[in-house]
Parts: sequence; structure tokens; C-alpha cells
Amino acid sequence: MLIPRRVAHRKQHHPKRTGAAKGGTSLAFGEFGIQAVEGHYVTNRQIESARIAMTRHIKRGGKVWINIYPDRPLTKKPAETRMGSGKGSPEWWIANVKAGRVMFELSGVTEPVAREAMRRAMHKLPMKCRFVSREGSDF
Amino acid sequence: MAEIKIVAESRTAFGKGAARRIRRDAKVPAVLYGHGLDPLHVSLPGHELMLALKNSNALLSVELDGSSQLALPKQVQRDPIRGYIEHADLLLVRRGEKVTVNVPVVLSGEAESGALVVTETTEIALEAEATHIPEAVEISIEGLEIGTQILASDLQLPEGSTLQIDPDHLIVNVTAAPTAADVEAELAQAEADAGIERDEPEHLDEDAADEAIGTDGDAPAEDGAATDGQ
Repeated sequence: MLIPRRVAHRKQHHPKRTGAAKGGTSLAFGEFGIQAVEGHYVTNRQIESARIAMTRHIKRGGKVWINIYPDRPLTKKPAETRMGSGKGSPEWWIANVKAGRVMFELSGVTEPVAREAMRRAMHKLPMKCRFVSREGSDF
Repeated sequence: MAEIKIVAESRTAFGKGAARRIRRDAKVPAVLYGHGLDPLHVSLPGHELMLALKNSNALLSVELDGSSQLALPKQVQRDPIRGYIEHADLLLVRRGEKVTVNVPVVLSGEAESGALVVTETTEIALEAEATHIPEAVEISIEGLEIGTQILASDLQLPEGSTLQIDPDHLIVNVTAAPTAADVEAELAQAEADAGIERDEPEHLDEDAADEAIGTDGDAPAEDGAATDGQ
């Protein structure tokens, strides 16, 4: 799973989830991609799970790119703990994905295979997503 | 590529308020510049511009105040969610003038079986006459063997075009696709690391599996799903 080797600050504030992506909104490497339609935190487990779902469907045919990286720690206080006594301990690693961001890319497979692979991957992600292709998007 | 005629209106109001009013009228704020002239601020019809820009490097014939000028899209800003055009920068060109543009690479054919074809560069910079810009550079990968690399110098460019990138730049890489066993092993390892359990009959304990097989052909999957879901 994707985890940063080291971070400057072990506990960080929650990043803003509002707004649209400034960059990375079009395909850069592959022929097909998954684009976020709304902003959300995506954990490293969700990224890995989506990658596995996609790769398992395309088997040995294609190449997958992951364009997001879970570089921010998110903390959690233990259950049944009173408020105060400082910030909780790091629990998840997240990527702050804004609306419009192309998160995964794929090439080397036909469009029907890519569509199905990405449909399976989208089920592993927490936000509403859509399939995009170099030929022309669905929207 | 044929010229696409588009009628522009001169724009006198600026700023986000004026730009939003223009967009509400189904138009797109745009700017025309080039050849050392002062920039011209115009608004273009949104639908016609969208259709014109579906072609890469569309040559636009912009009619403004009774005169017509040729222009190429230099930068197009789109809404990242809805995809509509928010603003367009158009570069003025003259007939016969050489311009440097990015042209998409299109693959045709199929490489040998077991090969994984990756387009490392999806657009290449070419210098061509403004009125004769190729729509795409086609590369045939028919029957290419594993290990083949197509470099920029190997491309057959359309007549009148010259390459503007390093001749050793990698365009297409044909590599061996990983074997099914390798992929399966890698995924199994990744799933184990992530702690992901799959809904498969092998997760059933032996007694449950025997019972399931003994009753009905469809039963194992249903039983398996029910067992895993608990």
C-alpha cells in the first residue's frame, strides 16, 4: 500500500474538500481514466483496492497509472475517550481529491474491457466518479 | 484541415462579472493575439466553438467587424466537471506561416500476441504550415515484436511537417505483458498486504463446501457469499 516514507508533521489539520481540481483534470498517460465528480478523502486502502479490482479484470493486458498519492495523515481519537488531552493518533493516510481530478489511468486494453475494469474500481472509491477516455468523454 | 468559420463579437466589458454574463448568453469570452499586435478581446458562440475545437489544432477563420482573420487555438480553458469552454486564447496566423503545434499520435494495427503496447508520448510537437496542419500522426504497430521501441526519428511525418522534439524521444514502447501467474501472484500479495479477503469458495470451511457441492450447482456461490458476508 502507498504510505509516505516520512512526513514533516505527523499530525496535520484536515484539508479542505471543497472546490475543483486545479490540475490533473485530463488524461496524461493512458487512454482511459477515472475522474472524480466530487471531492473526497481517498485512503491508501481504497486506492489499493481499486487498483487490485482493475488489474484483476484486465488480467495481463494493460498498464495502470495511479495519479493520486495518500500523503496526508488523518488522526482519530480512541473510542469512548473524553474530549481534550490532545490530538488523536494517526489512523489513515489519505489523498485529498478534488472534483475533476483524474485518479487512475489505463492503457493497452479495449474500451469495453477498460469500462468494466473501471466500473469495478469505482465501486471501491468513496466518491461519485465517471469514466473518461481520450477519444471523448461520456459527458 | 479546412478552415472553420466563426463569427466573433467585439468585447468591451471585462472582469468576472462581464465574463459570466457572456457565458450566460451561451457565448465564450476569448482573446485574439499574435504578430506583435494589440490583443483583441472577443466573444465567440459557445456551441460553434465547442464543435470546432473537437478537431485538434482546428484552423478558425474568425470574422470580426467585417474582416476575417485566421487563428489557431493556443489555450482552451474548460470547466473540469462539466467540460464547457470557459475561455479561449486564439493565436493569429497567416497563410503559409510556419507554426509549431502539438499533434496527437494515433496507433493502428495490433502488435504480436503477448505484447503490451504503451504510448509513452501521446502528442508530438511538429512545425507545419498553418493551413496544412496534420490532424494526427499515425503509427502502425502491426506485428511489432516485443522489445521494439519507436522513437521520434522513426516516425513518418506528413509532407511539409518537421519534428520539433528530440529525435531520440520515445513514442511507443512494446514490452512483454506480464504472465497471468505473475499478475495473480502480485495481486495475491497486494491483497494479503492490504488485508483484503475475496469472496471465493476457497474461503469456505471444508464441511460447508461439501454440503454446498452436494445440493445444487449454484449453491456454492450463494452459500459462500452468505458465509463471507457474516
